[in-house]
Amino acid sequence: MTPAVLSLWAGFVIGLAFGAAGQVTGFCLTRGLVGWWVTGDGRKIRAFALALAIAILVTQLADAAGLIDVRQSIYLGATFSWLLMPLGGVLFGYGMVACNGCGSRAIVLLGQGNLRSFVVLVCLGIAAYMTLTGLLAPLRTQIAGVTGAAIGEGPQSLPYLARAVSSNVARVVFALVAVGLLLWFVFAHAPFRASRKDIAGGLIIGALIPAGWLATGWLGFDDFDPAPLVSLTFVAPIGETIQYAMIATGTKVSFGVAVVCGVFLGSLAAALSTGSFHLEGFPTAQRMARYMAGGALMGIGGALALGCSIGQGLTGLSTLALGSFLAAGGILLGGRLALRGPLALPPL
Amino acid sequence: MDLSPRLTLSRRAALRLGASGVASLALTGGAFAQAWERFEPARKLIGDAKPSPDGLTLELPLVSEDGSSVQLTVSANRPMTDGDYVQSIHLFATRNPSPEIASFELTPRAGRANVMTRVRLNESQAVIAVARTSKGEVLVASRDVRVTQSGCLVRADTYESTGEMQPRVRVPAKVSAGAPAEILTLINHPMETGLREGADGKILPQRIVRSFEATLDGESFFKATLYRSLAANPYLRFYAVPAKSGKLAFKWTEDTGRTAEASASIAVG
Repeated sequence: MTPAVLSLWAGFVIGLAFGAAGQVTGFCLTRGLVGWWVTGDGRKIRAFALALAIAILVTQLADAAGLIDVRQSIYLGATFSWLLMPLGGVLFGYGMVACNGCGSRAIVLLGQGNLRSFVVLVCLGIAAYMTLTGLLAPLRTQIAGVTGAAIGEGPQSLPYLARAVSSNVARVVFALVAVGLLLWFVFAHAPFRASRKDIAGGLIIGALIPAGWLATGWLGFDDFDPAPLVSLTFVAPIGETIQYAMIATGTKVSFGVAVVCGVFLGSLAAALSTGSFHLEGFPTAQRMARYMAGGALMGIGGALALGCSIGQGLTGLSTLALGSFLAAGGILLGGRLALRGPLALPPL
Repeated sequence: MDLSPRLTLSRRAALRLGASGVASLALTGGAFAQAWERFEPARKLIGDAKPSPDGLTLELPLVSEDGSSVQLTVSANRPMTDGDYVQSIHLFATRNPSPEIASFELTPRAGRANVMTRVRLNESQAVIAVARTSKGEVLVASRDVRVTQSGCLVRADTYESTGEMQPRVRVPAKVSAGAPAEILTLINHPMETGLREGADGKILPQRIVRSFEATLDGESFFKATLYRSLAANPYLRFYAVPAKSGKLAFKWTEDTGRTAEASASIAVG
């Protein structure tokens, strides 16, 4: 088995784990934000924070050990757009609340028979590709060109900012501080400590991020067939999966497509085996319009911000990239705007 | 009273329109002329020979987001015998600033007319392959590729390379008698096209790996002439059918004269 094929299978298995864990534990950032800011249930947000802590810790360890080099990922490019990262994040966060779940959550829900998610995924995938390489792409590249920012000449990450100290020391300090703060936030809350499901969800999803890095950067490493270093992200891959389904005769499966397929099948398997599979649709036309708009916002926002709640919120942040902090902050802000204040959406 | 305007065609008028339509299609010679017919360098190469559209396969992705490194495989599904073998294969990127990608020369020792490499495509276009056999037959193939992120030739990451002129080869240690051995070769090199500006604003001069040769115990069986449309870090995958255990030697030559060499032993058992 060539490294390329091996990394694809690894991606599929990672997707299966993500789908099953997501279906069984209900891991979801949107539910987390709703609980944190509206209903007063702080468990789901802490599951996400736990996943982030694991992702940062193990990714930085793998990078320090030389198994992968996160500077080769798209999150640590030489520049990032100070406008599109947070703006994309805000659009994504808002859209995510509009359809009650982000792209990855939509795939998991589709696996349990939720046909509303199918509509969300199609709108997300098409809108994302429209922004990346379609009708909106020229506008995006133009704006990205004039709003590019770079601090110094190296990879735009938080440790790099403090490189004067020593980039390895800076990296260790930042990683430990971030992980420490997150774990304190997570475990200081009694209801979360009592919720085995949420702890399991956070641990599993968090571990899948470095698993993705290792699948593409270590298992899939082949001098003769270089492949991009990527991990879990669910904006471009959803569009890619739709495109692949249509032009499979002229294109190859990528890691992202393998993950998306795995998530769907993992969730489907988990739902069927626990008896929680049932078909659901839209109660009203207005609800469908809201979900379509939400999907499109997520597609456009995710494409602008180079990632989604998982892609930037977990994978991007695991590299400690500056752009990822902007994008993730934007996602939180967008979610906040949709839940509280003048732009808030009516609850579903 | 029927006041609706007469928008319907009489049967005679319809037949006339239809006939002229068919005629105009026929006149344009199937306006869908093959890509190679419209491409001057390919036509020159083919000359007076009647090219066969069967027999040569060109594999490329339908859609490539990044035009800076697109995988290409050209193959002829026919045995390579001493009397009748594919002698040369030429690749063109019809819309690149410099369309020549590479030319390969093979001998029967190569065993298979099957070469894989990576090419640079500046924009959506047709890629053409023209092959000549030792008997004078000409084979043609073309493939349309959609490139979504164009302008690859001026982007710095099109030329990304570290440790210049460092070669790497992968050869099976052992192969059964008569079976083709897959040989992978790679050399680090930016393949500077002479089209982009450096950090100081001055155009970086052209500098590419110009030629590659593979020999088995001194007998040359695969030669490649590389041009600017080949992707950075030139990658070539081809085959060899060794008659007995021996030593494979590979040599790359830059257009400045610099060379790099690598070798590998192969056992036949």
